[in-house]
Amino acid sequence: MTHTLDPQMTMTRVLEIFPGAQRALFRRYHIGGCASCSFQPGETLAGLCARNNLDAAEVVQHIQTSHQQDEELQISPGELAALRQAGAVRLVDVRSREEFDATRIEGAVLLSQPVMQEILGRWPREELMVLYDHRGRQSLDAAAYFLGQGFRNVRCLRGGIDAWSREADAKIPRYRLELSA
Amino acid sequence: MNPAPDYQKRIEEALRDPKNLGELAGADAVGTAGSAACGDMIRLWIKFKEEAGKKVVDRATFQSFGCETAIAVASLATELIRGKTAEEVLALSAEELAPSLGPLPPVKIHCTQLVESALRSALEPQSAPTQASAAPAAAPSLIDKFTQASQPSGKLKVILLEPDCHD
Repeated sequence: MTHTLDPQMTMTRVLEIFPGAQRALFRRYHIGGCASCSFQPGETLAGLCARNNLDAAEVVQHIQTSHQQDEELQISPGELAALRQAGAVRLVDVRSREEFDATRIEGAVLLSQPVMQEILGRWPREELMVLYDHRGRQSLDAAAYFLGQGFRNVRCLRGGIDAWSREADAKIPRYRLELSA
Repeated sequence: MNPAPDYQKRIEEALRDPKNLGELAGADAVGTAGSAACGDMIRLWIKFKEEAGKKVVDRATFQSFGCETAIAVASLATELIRGKTAEEVLALSAEELAPSLGPLPPVKIHCTQLVESALRSALEPQSAPTQASAAPAAAPSLIDKFTQASQPSGKLKVILLEPDCHD
């Protein structure tokens, strides 16, 4: 089903019908990535554009391609395995400490506050960085965040470490999570 | 509106050799703006000296959790304020802190304001705005989304599956 994006929609509605909108907004316009550039759920897209001096028509067009942008951001386990054989890939794990300690892709660093500072302050912005999570849901947000911060070669692992285990390295155990209070 | 190529070039130039990175031992004033929890924070250290009967900035350094624009602005601003009195520094507007970057795209202006707030926090702590007042009831940001997922509120247990298990 094709949705039409009306600039008078609230941001809550925009995100309902275009789940990748926030990532698209941050990648290109640096909006919605952190507390300083956030938006209000009830403000309209038109209002957000006016507040940031953006052309609403162009922003609408950009958001309407957000799904395709998300697709292009992803890399399959097979592609990642080939890239790792060919050369250095900076691997960033955006899962919890518990998951990282239980199983990880060799060479990955766990994203923490000090690592975030190291990445933003010192990592070359043109080098390939691949982010992964458990099943490929959060790493898209993380990839969009780093793209919005000026990194030019960021991808995320489609299906996360779970897909990596199934398709690229069966020695990496699969797992499920239980959360107790 | 795409980020202007010449703006990106100026940012890259400023980032090629960032000045005054890191903590400054024996600083006379320290100021922070933003929040490390959301990855958007600047901390500034300032040391003064006496010069011609006036107390002026001898050296200023910074640490940043923020975006590349914030790092570029902080680098330039810490150079710019050398030799100025606290009053002269406080009189600078956000736009005046990094004049060589030229006009910033509207969406990057908050990066400059972050540096200005950190300077105010160091030199005039009572007037610095709080983070809470700057961002009321905002939608979860991207960084909220992926950091909250990695920091669950309860106790997390990882249960490894048997190799032939289809979860």
